[in-house]
Amino acid sequence: MSAVLPEAEAPESADLLAVTEDVWMALLGDDGVLLPRAVPPGSPFDATAWSAATTISGGWHGVVTVELDEVLARRLTTRMLALPAEEEASDSDVADAVGELVNMVGGNVKSLMPGPSVLSLPAVAAGRAAFSSDSALACRLDLVWQDAPVRVSVHVPQEGPR
Amino acid sequence: MKILIADDSRVMRQIVIRTLRQAGHGGHDIVEAENGRQALEMVQTEAPDLVLSDWNMPEMNGIDCLSALRAAGSQVAFGFVTSEGSEEMRERAASAGAAFLIAKPFTPEAFDDALRSVI
Repeated sequence: MSAVLPEAEAPESADLLAVTEDVWMALLGDDGVLLPRAVPPGSPFDATAWSAATTISGGWHGVVTVELDEVLARRLTTRMLALPAEEEASDSDVADAVGELVNMVGGNVKSLMPGPSVLSLPAVAAGRAAFSSDSALACRLDLVWQDAPVRVSVHVPQEGPR
Repeated sequence: MKILIADDSRVMRQIVIRTLRQAGHGGHDIVEAENGRQALEMVQTEAPDLVLSDWNMPEMNGIDCLSALRAAGSQVAFGFVTSEGSEEMRERAASAGAAFLIAKPFTPEAFDDALRSVI
């Protein structure tokens, strides 16, 4: 597992949490309360997951990733699309919703960091996120929504020889 | 009033439509585009009164769509609904001729304020 970088090169954890909480509350209203989750440093995301990442490049470089428990991702998609409770979200709807989630978090992280920069379109996968060996973890949040785990992380290019 | 919503995310188009309703603007005709290029074509074929557009989209992004519209002489009211609400993006949007920029995540009040500026 790569080292955590100095704060100046990454968003503050408190800022990343505020951005994530704002997104959750806007999408879910009063049901959008996220709780902290104690996870040992260096642990991979421990759930059957959906993951989405967006890249920021320009005045600042980084990758913002959201990983969600499978059940949570489907529940969130159902809420975002306002589907009837008995209707299950399709995989393409989940991919769309999870991508939009990381787009919102990533866009707000971009606004916090030096610019001008460009935000990529989100890349979404059914499964845990994989991180490039030439990137370093800069900031990570482990949270719980309705008893299911959520992870938001920011990786930046690793300094030094590759 | 006819509103064209351009966003590559069906989920976000649904959320925008729902938020318009919550903001008291549910009575408008809504048409949808999946990217900037489609939005550009639909401004001609659908003649909307307002375009609500995402910024980052495949095929053609929102700012290029707006620039193409203005270059073609269209003065349709155009507002961004985007996750990128920095001052730099707001300035770029305004310079290109956008009436407003609503940053995601948003509230119904933000939609009401923005729409009142163009209705």
